[in-house]
Amino acid sequence: MSAQAGAVARRNVTRFGRAPPVTKNLRKNPRTLLPQPHVKNLLVRDIAPCRIMDHYYNTLQDDLMYMTYVHQSALPKQRQIRLTFDPNDPYAKNRYNPPVGGSQVGRKPAPLVTPEDVIRLERIQIHTMVKEAIGSRNNLLPAIMAIRALTGETYQGGGRHSNDGIQIVKARKSVGGWLRPGVPVGVKVDLKGPAMYDFLGTLVDFVLPRIRDFPGFILPPASSSVNSPNAVSGVVSFGLPPAAMGFFPQIEVNQDSYPKMFGMHIHLVTNATGLGAQNRARALVSGFQIPFIRK
Amino acid sequence: MFSRNLLTSCRAPSKDVSCLRRALATEASLGSSTTATSTPPPASSKRSTRPKITTAIILNRSPTLTRTPTPFERAYYAYQARIRRALHNPFPYEFYFKQGSLLETRFNIEEAERERLAFGKDFTGEVVTSEKEEANKRAVAQLSQQEGEGEVIMPRTHESDIKKDFKSLDRKGARNLYLLLRVNHDGKQVWRFPQGGVEKGELLHQAAQRDLFAECGPHMDTWIVSRNPVGVSKSPSEATKDGQEDITFFYKAHIMAGQVRPTQASVSDFAWLTKEEIESHVSKDYWEDIKDMLSRH
Repeated sequence: MSAQAGAVARRNVTRFGRAPPVTKNLRKNPRTLLPQPHVKNLLVRDIAPCRIMDHYYNTLQDDLMYMTYVHQSALPKQRQIRLTFDPNDPYAKNRYNPPVGGSQVGRKPAPLVTPEDVIRLERIQIHTMVKEAIGSRNNLLPAIMAIRALTGETYQGGGRHSNDGIQIVKARKSVGGWLRPGVPVGVKVDLKGPAMYDFLGTLVDFVLPRIRDFPGFILPPASSSVNSPNAVSGVVSFGLPPAAMGFFPQIEVNQDSYPKMFGMHIHLVTNATGLGAQNRARALVSGFQIPFIRK
Repeated sequence: MFSRNLLTSCRAPSKDVSCLRRALATEASLGSSTTATSTPPPASSKRSTRPKITTAIILNRSPTLTRTPTPFERAYYAYQARIRRALHNPFPYEFYFKQGSLLETRFNIEEAERERLAFGKDFTGEVVTSEKEEANKRAVAQLSQQEGEGEVIMPRTHESDIKKDFKSLDRKGARNLYLLLRVNHDGKQVWRFPQGGVEKGELLHQAAQRDLFAECGPHMDTWIVSRNPVGVSKSPSEATKDGQEDITFFYKAHIMAGQVRPTQASVSDFAWLTKEEIESHVSKDYWEDIKDMLSRH
């Protein structure tokens, strides 16, 4: 028994052992003449455990549920704004049920907190505008390479077909004498899953503590509107100055390769909606140790 | 599992107490045997039937180390990493590295090692002469020495793990630890969470904070997560056999710094324990009440 266990323990599970013997040659692609694997849709999953993701699922998720939970009896009763539509009513039958008028943005209450619907981070968007790219689009290249070094994302890289990689942002509007629609003006990337948490970890551990005179991201004043689209969207946004890019270890190691450093906007998109969504999103984000201060 | 338990208990109307405690059936039979001999006076005043409310604090030390992956997980990750490496997009060496720089040499050596781990030793990329390879390795070793690499990594097992020091906050770094106190209860030594009563006019979460400091001393930084209790247990009080109920609301708290220093003489000992260790310390009834509030990580 023990000898068997020893033999199992000695066999390394992470190393590539021996290639399987070739019994049948792979079919070749008629166009490229390259061998085609049998698998059509190869799905590549996580390649390593993720520290920050574990922190969320072990600690933060429970805490956030307790913090954001509102007992049903404590919820204010919804005011009935018009007669409810009853399809069994002979008058209402086959009649058009018009939607409630007016913009509902900032009026919808937050959905009930359930264990399945605790606030979580959906994606992180990093966005950089490069003004010089308006004159010559070659100036986008350093920004693309810097964001690529930061995030490691490339278009469908590593067999992840849903990965859009680093995208080029084009101008949508015409700004007199300066911008025309379709001119590339910046780059952005969407991070999801472990890559998102890894980026957050790097930001918190290496970058934010080294920014000079940085007490935290400033919260909006208490008098700011609670119904604005910003406050009910569940997105936490902040910017980093160009100097901060040099603090990322991925950039720091060969900072000379880049002609200049770029600032960036970072949007942390959560699944929170309804009234107070941004406050709940900030509670989540501060759980990842991103500091906020009041002015 | 715990969270669902919490929500169902909170959603239930407050009058319906049968859902609050799972072991109520056994309690009822126990109670009926005692009440059979001494029936409570039917004209008991409203005051005596008012339940006695207690708050208990589940003081948690979150994991400080990452979890060790199982052999299956490691094999899975290695397999997925191999596929991702095989399908990765071309890497633009010429942008990131100056031609022939030391940084590029180091990157190439490290990349060759990673390829060898992923695809076996027969997988070779660029062929380098042995002399050149030796020179490269020496240069890279010098670079890493200049950068102060090769520091000793801290071990994953703390000395308190080896000594079985249950009072240390450094033990079991990958697990959630919870504080348990050993107290004298009716002449018996029992293990339980820190707890205490609620004073008149006091809110539950304020009482929880006060009770925690009263039993564990002020020499620690703690944070009570929420104003909402995370669970509740309900049992007839043994002290007064007049049917007065004993309701305990549990609050979750984190310890940030410091250590417990029991201030009361009734608290004889304390321990930081994982979920499984708590089961072996506490009574069966208490375990049934608290088990769903503890993390299995």
